Order: sequence, then C-alpha cells, then structure tokens
Amino acid sequence: MRTFEEIGLLFGRYARQVLRNPIWLFASLITPILYLALFTPLLRHLGGQTLSAGAALDLFLPGILALVAFGSGVGPGFSLIFDVKAGVVERLRVTPANRFAILIGPILVTMVMMMIFDGILLVVGALFGFHIHPAGLGLLGVLLALLEVTTAAFFSATSLRAKGDINGFAAIANGLNLPVLLLGGVLLPLSLGPVWLQDLGHADPLYYVASAARVLASGNLSSNLVWQAFLVLVPLCAVVLVWATRVLWQIIM
Amino acid sequence: MAGAIMSNLETGQENHGQGVRTAAIVTRDLAKTFQARRGAVEAVRSISLDVERGSIVGLLGPNGAGKTTTLRMLTTLLPIGRGSAQVAGFDVGREPHQVRTHIGYVSQLGGSDEVLTARENLHLQARLYGIAPMQAASRAQSLINQLELSTYADRAVKTYSGGQRRRLDIALGIIHQPEVLFLDEPSTGLDPQSRANLWEHIRSLGAGGMTIVVTTHYLDEADALCDDVYIIDQGKIVAHGAPAVLKQQIGGTAIVLEWDTPPQASQACELLRSAPFVREAVLNETLLRLYVDNGSEALSALLHRLEQAALAAHSLRLSQPSLDDVFLRTTGRSLREETVEVH
Repeated sequence: MRTFEEIGLLFGRYARQVLRNPIWLFASLITPILYLALFTPLLRHLGGQTLSAGAALDLFLPGILALVAFGSGVGPGFSLIFDVKAGVVERLRVTPANRFAILIGPILVTMVMMMIFDGILLVVGALFGFHIHPAGLGLLGVLLALLEVTTAAFFSATSLRAKGDINGFAAIANGLNLPVLLLGGVLLPLSLGPVWLQDLGHADPLYYVASAARVLASGNLSSNLVWQAFLVLVPLCAVVLVWATRVLWQIIM
Repeated sequence: MAGAIMSNLETGQENHGQGVRTAAIVTRDLAKTFQARRGAVEAVRSISLDVERGSIVGLLGPNGAGKTTTLRMLTTLLPIGRGSAQVAGFDVGREPHQVRTHIGYVSQLGGSDEVLTARENLHLQARLYGIAPMQAASRAQSLINQLELSTYADRAVKTYSGGQRRRLDIALGIIHQPEVLFLDEPSTGLDPQSRANLWEHIRSLGAGGMTIVVTTHYLDEADALCDDVYIIDQGKIVAHGAPAVLKQQIGGTAIVLEWDTPPQASQACELLRSAPFVREAVLNETLLRLYVDNGSEALSALLHRLEQAALAAHSLRLSQPSLDDVFLRTTGRSLREETVEVH
C-alpha cells in the first residue's frame, strides 16, 4: 500500500515538472507528426505499386506508434541527469521511500504521455484514412506500454550510471537510438530487406514490437508475431526493472 | 606533541562511554576504500565517533579529508566499507530503512526541485516520510515561517538566492523532525550575512534538542557552531574535543614568523625550538609558528636570539590559537592555506 502511495507521490512530482515545461511536450509530439506528414507520401509509390493514403498509413503508422514508445523512454534518463546534478536523487534516496517507487514514478508519467501521443497520432491518422481496429489497438497499447517502461527503465539506469555526465549519457542514448530504430524496422518493415537484415533485427526488442504492431493494428490478434512480442517483452521488462532498481539502490555518486 | 592530543582523545571517549546508550551516533574504525582505475583509494581510513544526543558536532578538515564519504556512509547512501556505525540507535548496515526514517540529510548540492515551489517541495518531502496530507501542509507552513521563507514560499525554487535555497534545503532535511540531522558543508558559497543567518537557524535547531553533524572546511564555522569538533585529515581523526578545549591545549599565543627562503626559516627553527619559552615550533616552508605561554616576554627574547644569529625575520605577527593551529600541530599543514577558495 505504502509503495503505491509513494509511486503516486513521485508520479505527481514528475508530472508537475513536465507540465511546467510544456515546450518539451510539443517537441516530443512534433517528431512523429513530421514523420507522418513528410514520410508517408514516400511510401505510396513504393516498389512500383501505388497505395492509397489509408493503405500507406496502415503500413506506416503502427511503426511510428512504436517509435513514440521507444523515444519517450529516453525522457526519464535525461531528467535524471539533472536530478543527479541538483542532488534530488540523493535527497530521495535518503528518505525511506521505496527505491522501486523512486524509479517507476517518473517512468509511469512518460508512459501516460506516450499513450496520449499515440492516441493523438491515431486520431490524426484516422482522419487521413487509417483503419481503426479497436481490439487490436487495445492489445497493442499494452505491448507499447511494456516497451516504453522497458526503455525508460533502461535509460534511467544508464543515466544513473553516467552520474550526472550529460555528454556520456547523450552519447549512449544517441548511439543506441539509430541502430535500434533501423533494426527494429520501425520506418519500413524489415521484410522488405534481405534475410541478414531480418536476422539482425531479431536481436532488437523493438523489431518484435514493430512487427506485432502492424498485425495488431490490422485487427489480427492471433498472429504468431503477437505472442512472440509478448514473450520477448514481458521478461525483458521485468529484468530491466529489477536491474534499474538495483542500480538506484547501489549507485555510488 | 600529537600524543598529547591523542591521549586527550582517549579520555574524551571514556567520558562518553558512560552514555553510549543515549549516543546519537557511534562509529568504530569506520573505513571506506574506493576501487579506482589507478588502484585503491582509501577515502576513509579510521573514523570513530561518539556523538551525544542534542549536540552540534563538527567534522572539520580540508577538502578530500573523507568528511563527505563518512557522511554518506552514515546516511545509508554508501555501503560501509569496514568498521561499524550506529545512528539514532540503529545499525547503518543492517537497518538502513530505520536509519533513514530517523535522520535528515542536506547534501552540498541541496536537492530541492527547481521547478516546484518551496511549499510543494516541502509537502512532497513530508509525504515521502509518511506524514498525512493535512499534517504535511501544516509542517510545511511552520517551517516556511521558521526559516523565513514565507515571502517566496509559492515561487519556483529556481528564482531563489543562495541563502534562501539553503534554508529551504534545511527545511527539507528537518520536515520529518529527525533525531539526527547531517549538514554537508552548509555554508559553502553563501555571503557572510547569509552564513550568519544560517548559523543562527542551525543553533536554534540544536537548542531544540536535535543532534546535528556538520562537515566543514571553515574554521570559523566549526568554532562558532559546534559543541564538539573532530578534526579529520586523510581519512583519520587527528584531534577531537570542544573547540575551546582544543585551542587551550595549544595554549598561550602563537608567534608567526616569516623569512624569504626556507633554509633561513629552518635554521631559525633549529635555533628557537629548544628555547625555554617555546612550547612548540611548527615549520612550514618559509613560515615558522612558535607556540609560547607569554607572548610579549617571549617576543623580546626571540628577537634577541634571531638578531645574534643574523636571522632577522622579514615579517612577524602574534595570533591567538585557532582551530587551524590545532590542525597545524597535528598534521604539520595549515587548513587555511589548503583551502584557499574564491567566493
């Protein structure tokens, strides 16, 4: 009970911080909107065939939803850099508050933000012909939440280990960002590429999510890709959360 | 010479021995070694503290002496390397959760949320210590009054001055009414007026019965604030006692002489060290400090001797012993010279 209360308190703290810097909210939302507006038209004439706007979005939007989930996971990492520098992390660690609560509070805020962003993208997409399949999207929401929490916990721990060094953290975050996104097949499905690329993709958790996202968004809940994605994400999320909590517990700053 | 102080340290510990049950902090041979790439760094070698409940205790030493590392071990932020530590009656290694509920810690960095207001910061902090919302609000309000923050209590912390921010940091550290409060270099970076004001607040907390541990590299801070001072150098306690007692042991007056070159100073040191009026001589490069019982009598005798030996000093001054002299006597180095800081 106490831990839930603490999670709520630390959720509230981070949510206030985010809402008082709304510029970041717009910055986070503008990237996927730009992708949709400027990248989707390229897909319509892919491989010699011409797709309708709706069909192109059906192919492209699910990957963007996954991209938003992954991208919003970097946020808590960056804000932890500043919290470490300002002594906030140290102050929280001296309180009796549960270490898991200290970790997960901000992460849940970014998860909710991700849900809202993805919701906005779905609404915008639907206006331009994206086909909405509620059941599939509901299950996809769960999968995206798992991905977001995993990513956020990973970057939180990485940030703590960087001990307030923003350059070190930014180098890791940026260095991972592009290969993970490309190998995840977020922008274009890897099935368009050679076999070796698809093989490499299997090492990328995002690949499973992006693949499952496309079938789930099309309303297909029984595809193997769906349970495979959960099979990868559920244990991965658990392991990363345990690891990140341990880092927060033990880190020497 | 160090022996005199160390033996005094031991008797001091015996006196505390009868009150171990009520001690706020007891540590025995606390030590911490960090594994760095270039080998092991012994940040803390052996720290044994006996802090009485309700006292204000200073850990005084130069930067890098191991004060902050000691504090971080006592506040559960850092696993204890070797030795034992009890804080507020709980074992730091085995009962970290209990220790956390009974202590407050104000780090050098502060730790308030810049985007939030003082009131929001205080309220959240109280809630994290399990204080109910209504009570949290009233505690926040009373600390806002007590620490003179009411004018800006509802402004974002990023607009605060250094002194205001420091007072908020302390309010955050005491909102749950801890038994023991740890302040790490509380007045660093503050202007003289804010420092004096901060000391006033710390003293009144001490008068209210809270045990307070202050680390500092400022002599005047330790002197002005603390009932009891542990002087720490290179991870070890080199002297311990009430500031007045420590200074008394140095005794009389210090005569500080300076020459142009180190050889001159060391010749003069040889010459004067054995003089009957000199209790102790400490040489540091071109500076020679003589501790004497009677300043004016000694002065004429030593000037006479120096003149005979053609070793006249180019400058000379008298000073009352300070905690710096205590540090100098035990380590051979000056705390003042080591901690030249720009403010």
